[in-house]
Amino acid sequence: MSADAPVRTGTTPPAAPPPTRRSKSRVDTAFYVMLLPALALFTVLIVGPALAGMFFSVTNYVGYGEYSFIGLNNFLVLFTDPRILTSYGFTIGFSIVTVLLVNALGLLLAVGLNAKIRFKTALRGVFFVPMVVSGIVIAYVFNYIFSNSLPAVFTSLGIDAWGTSILANPSWAWVGVVIVTAWQAIPSALIIYLAGLLAIPEEVYEASSLDGASPWRQFTAITLPLVAGYVVINTVLGFKNFLNAYDIIVGLTDGGPGTSTYSVAMTIFTGFQTGDYAYQMANAVVFFVITVLISLAQLRLINGRGVSL
Amino acid sequence: MLVDGPPRGGISRRSLLKIAGLGAAAGALPLSLSGCAGAGGSSGTTSLRWLANKPEVLAAFDELAAQYNASQSAVTIAHDGTQASIVPQFVRGAPPDVACYNYNLETSNYVRGGVLEDLAPLPEAKTINPAYQDLVTQYADFEGQTSVLPWSVTAAGVIYNVELFADNGVEVPTTYAELTAACQKFQAAGVTPIYTTAAATWSLLQGIWDYATGSGADVPAFFEEKLAADAGQGPTFLETFSKPWSDAIALRTYFNPDFPSRQYADGNLAMGQGKVAMYLQGPWALGEIAKTDPDLELGTFSLPMTEDPDDRAVRVNLDLALWVPTASRSVGDAKAFVQWLMQPDICNGYNQQNLAFSPIQGATGTTDPRTAGLAPYLEAGAIYQGAGTFVPNTIPLANYIQGALVDGDAEGMLRTLDADWDRLAKRSALS
Repeated sequence: MSADAPVRTGTTPPAAPPPTRRSKSRVDTAFYVMLLPALALFTVLIVGPALAGMFFSVTNYVGYGEYSFIGLNNFLVLFTDPRILTSYGFTIGFSIVTVLLVNALGLLLAVGLNAKIRFKTALRGVFFVPMVVSGIVIAYVFNYIFSNSLPAVFTSLGIDAWGTSILANPSWAWVGVVIVTAWQAIPSALIIYLAGLLAIPEEVYEASSLDGASPWRQFTAITLPLVAGYVVINTVLGFKNFLNAYDIIVGLTDGGPGTSTYSVAMTIFTGFQTGDYAYQMANAVVFFVITVLISLAQLRLINGRGVSL
Repeated sequence: MLVDGPPRGGISRRSLLKIAGLGAAAGALPLSLSGCAGAGGSSGTTSLRWLANKPEVLAAFDELAAQYNASQSAVTIAHDGTQASIVPQFVRGAPPDVACYNYNLETSNYVRGGVLEDLAPLPEAKTINPAYQDLVTQYADFEGQTSVLPWSVTAAGVIYNVELFADNGVEVPTTYAELTAACQKFQAAGVTPIYTTAAATWSLLQGIWDYATGSGADVPAFFEEKLAADAGQGPTFLETFSKPWSDAIALRTYFNPDFPSRQYADGNLAMGQGKVAMYLQGPWALGEIAKTDPDLELGTFSLPMTEDPDDRAVRVNLDLALWVPTASRSVGDAKAFVQWLMQPDICNGYNQQNLAFSPIQGATGTTDPRTAGLAPYLEAGAIYQGAGTFVPNTIPLANYIQGALVDGDAEGMLRTLDADWDRLAKRSALS
């Protein structure tokens, strides 16, 4: 969360650089050297391919062979393609709902796990588990639960209306995707909230209870305002992840029924498998711009809160 | 697309790739030299990489390569069974020297691009049933050449439980009316008439979609016109397939009620347990069903979609076909190996053992009773390549089919398909 760690000259180890260099710059070159490997990797593995993708988005490249420039054609068609527009609608709607759910449940669990309860450490470990299991594994397990276990349970209880898989229902399959995504994402939100709660000094609560504040009043008047910055962090990080939803959907519905749960990332990826490379690169460029805009909007919010990522 | 040629002025991406390739080759040279050193001096034996990666029969391919290597000393066939994509191999200029590979819309790009040798001069090319050779050009053609020789044809239809049919007094249906009557009979007797696994979308694509359109309309003629037409022109999916596809979707009342959430394995299990009368799957499912009950008596028939029994046809695909890239390290030796593979006893032998049909004229196909029901259609040439196989993968047809089966809207789906096709054609991604 403090990844931006600005160069703090005050913490420079005693082994200072030779005096000849000190006159030129007060910043130790060692810091730049430390950044270099990461910068090189980032450029080669992220920036380079991204620029190449942007380049190909104005061509008719199919992934191999010859290609020619076709201007903004891909983009023009993109905005009239109902399949693309539907995938954006689904992805953004799904992300909003999931972010809300993850933050609400994450905060709730964090408050519970921060209280003076028995087996606190063990419980914290248990709630952490979903985070370390691979998304595709979780998706396949939940696919089985939704398709086989739950229908069997509901049928035996006599609730026949619930006897079919939620994933097979075009109107409700997205709920299944939200549940599983939230299940996996809550632990990371939970950790950040726990850190936030631990940072609130105990004395504040003691003082408020002396003044006769109820637990609910303490929560709304002390806890919530003091973890507000962490809400923003969780929203920004979570939203970015949910916009990129891929593996869980592939394992749960594979975009179905029909194309009702087809995410933008899945659509983009089909470009690699189907020779529709340039078109989906254009889609990726549009998606990138949208993600950047959303993130910038959220960063403004952060700055207003006086917290940093 | 895959046209190989000199760069046209300036440093193109292609020439950059070539330079990179040269560097890689230079780097690899010492390695390959040391690799050859053990081969006993200058024996002069050429080694050819034979790409043949159908997972189920890798052992059979190993056996064939060993047989050929033992039969002559001019070349060594090195069998390559890896599942790697072949596009990059062509891009790098290092395609397999000879291949025995599934022929589909993707592989047809190599035909269209003219990167394969013309095999027409081989005497074996004339022994192939023209009905099967035509299947190749339905996807792509390069200057009338014979770029690909069919080697193994698989046929798919409705797998049915022979005992359940007999017990309920149901004959194999020859018309759509007989089919629905049979379904009603099974339903009344408490037997699932048709088991469908809609969670595995591919099973719908090769199954109910391909079968219904293939028996209910002229699929090859439709796509011949469609592929030749400009965007927005030519016949539409809606007008051509509306009737058979609506009728096919009407069959969903006879499916297992939980069909939207069932997977491929569920279908094989239910079929193997003898609880299901009909199952729209290809011959690859027979081995899976046998895992549950090896003694289950099964047969296969063509799904009837009209009231004329003669409209029935069978879905086939060129499961394996032989081709030699022009960039093969030894075109002559590769062709000699193709000739050897095309010998009737080898080609027919493989197909008889693998529930498939030999493309060689007059060959007796598989005699397995489970697929023998399809043999008359193949002999009569009443065959088609599935409508789904002509649609480029970028259109998520399998998902559309799943959606239509779940919500019942046949015509809406066909309209979406038409719109997608036109959009794709406009983008000129289609040839």
